[in-house]
Amino acid sequence: MQSIFFQERTLQLNPCAKHKLIRDSVRTFAETELAPVASAIDRAATFPREIIEKMRPLNYFGLQVPREFGGAALDSVSAAIVVEEISRVCAAIGLCVTVHNGVAVYPFLRFANAEQKKHYLPKLAEGELIGAFSLTEANAGSDSASVETTAVKRNDAYVLNGTKIFVTNGGVCDLALIFALTGSEQGKPQSSVFIVESKYPGFLRGELEDLCGMRANPVSSLFLEDCCVPENNVLGRIGDGMKIGLATLDNGRIGVAAQALGIAQGAFEAAVKYAKERQQFKKPIASLQTIQNYIADMATEIAAARLLLYRACSLKDEGMPFGCEASMAKLYCSTVASRVTSLAVQIHGGYGYSKEYDVERYFRDAKVTEIYEGTSEIQRMVIARSILSQLIL
Amino acid sequence: MLNLVVCLKQVPMVTELPWDEKTGTLRRDLAAGMMNPACKHALEAALQIKEHHPANITVITMGPPAAEEVLREALALGADQAVLVCDRLLAGSDTFATSLILKEAIKKKCPKFDLILCGAYTADSETAQVGPQLAEELDLPAAAYVEKLEISGKTLRVRRLVDNFRETLEMEFPALVTISMENYKPRYTGLAGLESAFDKNDVVILDAKALGLTAASIEKKGSRTKVRKVFLRKTQKGNVLLQGAASAVVTEFLDKYQRKIGTVIGKSIEEKKSDEKK
Repeated sequence: MQSIFFQERTLQLNPCAKHKLIRDSVRTFAETELAPVASAIDRAATFPREIIEKMRPLNYFGLQVPREFGGAALDSVSAAIVVEEISRVCAAIGLCVTVHNGVAVYPFLRFANAEQKKHYLPKLAEGELIGAFSLTEANAGSDSASVETTAVKRNDAYVLNGTKIFVTNGGVCDLALIFALTGSEQGKPQSSVFIVESKYPGFLRGELEDLCGMRANPVSSLFLEDCCVPENNVLGRIGDGMKIGLATLDNGRIGVAAQALGIAQGAFEAAVKYAKERQQFKKPIASLQTIQNYIADMATEIAAARLLLYRACSLKDEGMPFGCEASMAKLYCSTVASRVTSLAVQIHGGYGYSKEYDVERYFRDAKVTEIYEGTSEIQRMVIARSILSQLIL
Repeated sequence: MLNLVVCLKQVPMVTELPWDEKTGTLRRDLAAGMMNPACKHALEAALQIKEHHPANITVITMGPPAAEEVLREALALGADQAVLVCDRLLAGSDTFATSLILKEAIKKKCPKFDLILCGAYTADSETAQVGPQLAEELDLPAAAYVEKLEISGKTLRVRRLVDNFRETLEMEFPALVTISMENYKPRYTGLAGLESAFDKNDVVILDAKALGLTAASIEKKGSRTKVRKVFLRKTQKGNVLLQGAASAVVTEFLDKYQRKIGTVIGKSIEEKKSDEKK
């Protein structure tokens, strides 16, 4: 083994040929398949099954799953680019992909035992099973210790009871990772993660949520009513809930950052195109300095957001801690997404407020990236905690 | 085992590029590159052959170092080997020189080919010449603008659309076809394929020397054409207002425009007049 000091290492800020090719390929798919329906599925709040079927053989559901399990084994920058490019066209499907890969499949890669990996990973990677991650409850969101769903051991199974809310992919998932209380340790509630298949008796779905954005993603509640889960379906060990939850959310934040960045990019491109076309005072509005300032600010913020995101990705790929950087990327990318989509609507003027133009959808889709996978306020808490815990800054 | 060679070209991603006023060459640096769409159809045709017959696909391109990208994409889609012909000496080659160079590359890396597939034309220059010229150089039976291929044994049957009629031709291997964009819709590139296309450093790079070409021989046999001037044809659209009595307007209209509208309605106005007389 070579000393790390002698490995060739330069700061790579420009996309390599592989990343460009991955971006081009996903963009072609998204623009051909998703762009024609993105607006309609948003309005009707329908999940485009037939497009999902086309995505399955192209490995969109096994982005970072090793090849031995049928995945694409992408590096993290590539995986982020995939989510970015899908979200650039249709954020709701970007959401489906990033939740499946980032918070449903990732915990399997990190915490599942050999048997669980062998059984579930090929089906997840192939998209035969669509995954969901189920932590949030009416009284528990960012505070994962307040989960009220319970799991009680009975013979060789756990019996789960409780209600999960705002489950992304909830309406279509075939498998959900459910966080449930399994007891307490030193007076503190102790949670664990269970692999629950939707076909298990006692697994019920609620009505789909009627949301402001991301409407093509079937977000729903999940009800567990005496749902029997085999004891082999505990992910990691009993009591690992907090550990798995935190690690998974770190990774999920990279996915949401990528998604937010894709939304910003899509809105930005639409705004630039419109600014060149729209004539006022007998010239394109792009020739007005105010609009140019908007465009310059949007482009600069998007570029900065992208660098933050890819930094978190490359730290992850090098096996370094990336939680704080993932939070920074998520905080900044989602803030930029909201700001850029708002400016994109502004540049479109009255038309931007109409459903006739895509920026209205981007504007609605962007907002939630500041909320889910930890609100911007929580991200600041995570970042500050990390900074303050360092002995030397 | 069928040995297939697919010639690919990297073209700029936009259809209308500005050009350098002085040299008349396109400013390719202003746009990112992509695989020429017709070439992608040709690769798809080869991949479909491979799905039905045991086959080996070699992809070849000539271009700057960045053109390796289209070869990697082809590897991701299922090509087996890739060859990049890359040398400053070869820059600026016209279609004639390009076909000579491709001939040398094919003779060197894949001499026992059965079928060469090219895109029918490129999106950036649209000459549609390299395929047919390459066939001429290699003395092969060839068909251009092919929309369907069928293989039985050593015989290739091709269908193509020429001047609004379809013709079916048969030829023996080895042969060359250029593929049109009618059929063979390219498949999407899978992510696993893309990742593994970058696993190995397995693109063979050939320079002029490796092909036995020198500056002198390129000078002698090389480009026969020179771009003297590039200009944009100015087209103007304008409205014409015909005024006066209805009969006079119709007569004036027919006098001026009947040749143009005859083809649109599918029957010339002269014919229509004679029909009416009958």
